[in-house]
Amino acid sequence: MNRREVLFGGAAALTLMAGARAASAADEVVIGAIYPMSGANAQIGVDARHALETAAEIVNGVHDLDLPTARTAGLPKLGGAKIRLIFADHQGDPQKGRAEAERLITQEKVTAIVGAFHSSVSATVSATCERYALPYVAADSSSPSLHRRGLKFFFRPAAHDEMFSAAMFDFLDEQKKAGKKIETVALFFEDTIFGTDSSNVQRKLAGERGYKVVADVKYRANSPSLTSEVQQLKSADADVVMPSSYTTDALLLVKTMGELGYKPKNMMAQAAGFSEKAVFDAVGDRLEGLVSRASFALDLAAKRKSIAVVNDMFKARAARDLNDNTSRQFNALLVLADAIDRAGSLDGAKIRDALAATDIPGEQTIMPWRAIRFGADGQNELCDPVLIQYLGGKFVTVYPTGVALQAAKWPMNG
Amino acid sequence: MTAQGIFQVLASGLLMGLIYALIAVGLSLIFGLMDVVNFAHGEMLMLAMYAAFGLWAISGIDPVLLMPLVVAAMAIFGALVYLGIVRYAMRAKSNAGMVQIFATFGLAVLIQGLAQFLFSPDYRSINGSFLAGKTVNLLGVFLPAPQVFGGVVSLAAFAGLWLLMTRTDFGKALEATREDQGAVALVGIDRNKIFALGWALGAGLVGLAGAVMAIFYYVHPQVGSGFALVAYVTVALGGFGSVFGALAAGLIVGLVEAATTLVLPSAMKSMGVYVLYLGVVFFRPSGLFGRL
Repeated sequence: MNRREVLFGGAAALTLMAGARAASAADEVVIGAIYPMSGANAQIGVDARHALETAAEIVNGVHDLDLPTARTAGLPKLGGAKIRLIFADHQGDPQKGRAEAERLITQEKVTAIVGAFHSSVSATVSATCERYALPYVAADSSSPSLHRRGLKFFFRPAAHDEMFSAAMFDFLDEQKKAGKKIETVALFFEDTIFGTDSSNVQRKLAGERGYKVVADVKYRANSPSLTSEVQQLKSADADVVMPSSYTTDALLLVKTMGELGYKPKNMMAQAAGFSEKAVFDAVGDRLEGLVSRASFALDLAAKRKSIAVVNDMFKARAARDLNDNTSRQFNALLVLADAIDRAGSLDGAKIRDALAATDIPGEQTIMPWRAIRFGADGQNELCDPVLIQYLGGKFVTVYPTGVALQAAKWPMNG
Repeated sequence: MTAQGIFQVLASGLLMGLIYALIAVGLSLIFGLMDVVNFAHGEMLMLAMYAAFGLWAISGIDPVLLMPLVVAAMAIFGALVYLGIVRYAMRAKSNAGMVQIFATFGLAVLIQGLAQFLFSPDYRSINGSFLAGKTVNLLGVFLPAPQVFGGVVSLAAFAGLWLLMTRTDFGKALEATREDQGAVALVGIDRNKIFALGWALGAGLVGLAGAVMAIFYYVHPQVGSGFALVAYVTVALGGFGSVFGALAAGLIVGLVEAATTLVLPSAMKSMGVYVLYLGVVFFRPSGLFGRL
């Protein structure tokens, strides 16, 4: 071996080492999570943190569950790289969300972002991600307008409010066909993008399917009092009251209904506040028979083992069961992890393409869905919503009939 | 809406107005006494509600009976806030107004952060009061018992305050201090002591409001901010420093807010109050009962 060969050999070894370092640089994948960690909806953020950390635990460790990336430690195609989450607080403010997204991308160098509960915040955060060519997975924001803005880096595995509301009206049609009297509905919604979008869909569907809207109450979110609003509902006394409310307003709505001696014939909620434990702890006795749309059916755990295991893991952290919100947050991170693994790269465009090619059968999720496959607009169309009913202190899946474990009690106060 | 519905809305507005007045009066009192706007007023309300919730959760005693304890605790807290923070903020050589604003605003941020850290951002409700869930049905107009109780407590508090201000030496000292801080020192009144007692009284009153509200409202770290906003408008409307202006303005705010929903969409219900307030600013800038 002459001197030149030694030099060559050394150079080759150095190159190899550099290559090895490049691979080990990817021993962690940093993902940003934008949630309301303070402000009126801080509990949502606290629970989201537990849900996402549960998902990261499943990705990073070895778990014998039929879920994407669960059986391997970390992401195998990235040399077992582990997921690290960085949480940012948007306080329910779209502008704070945009600023935090910018910080996560430029300062913390995140690979992708998950968020954001509030649809209004998802709108600004996803636009920021688009600008930096970074994937954004909307875990639990359900406004239909979000996936109609022509964004290439926006993905939503869960249903949007049009799908949810369609399921509600399908259910009403079915009840009506079975001979129940349902002629009038009352809409009750908060004044941000979530409530407004939700009510627009419900108003349209009610018109198309021949239900009369007898009260159409848009109220100011986080109001100190809802007496006059509830009075309007009471005067109208519709066959179905359909609230789209976050936690504070949901609590106040139900309390005020009780105070004004108003017992709605039926209540069918656009989840949000009506899937939160705090609401049922405080006023659950008044909500017996409440129907809510959901993405998640906890009682499906009897048929699918992974749901029970994940729920136990989540409960150990959060001291509460998985619900509509936390299940979607958990699921979103797994979808993202699966795509990053298939991309085998931290490059935003490659992960985007991998996300677009996602094909996860329903049985390999904790959700009661057919599959996760995104359309060109980033929306998963195969995530059939379910309706759950609050009966005897817990939620039971009552619709669609295929996944329902028991028939709905209708009317709820009957 | 039927006539019954209209009466319902107005009656609820009146009851809410009495609560607004009770929340606002402490703020007005402190301002009148020493020209300091307490920006932590909403957080004091929140603390009082947590105190009521916490005492109920630990002891299981009806929150109505726990009210004196909450008031006493908040009064001590108020005096401590004056002695520990505001007293020093008032000594600022320049820009004292700004220093006071930032001192109490900073306190508000601190209390809110601590509350979220210590009590978690979860929503709490008291389910144990004998008043809870009861309503008085007056010819189809429903008056929830907890709010009626709150209204009675509010009126009683104002009556007590009136007696205190007009019939006691402490009341006279308060009145004298607010008229001329320098002169009272000459006649042997300790200004510092009066201020501390004024803060104790102001915080005690908002404590009373919090203890009443905890019975029928949910508690969480941000609960004070919405009510604080109403309290500032109430105080400005009634006249800064005017105790009975706060009562009148509280009632007006409650009624106008309720009446607005009869003509405008509910989402705009606070507009009526602010339009009224703008009118007062144009035509009577010192507020309805102000003496500026």
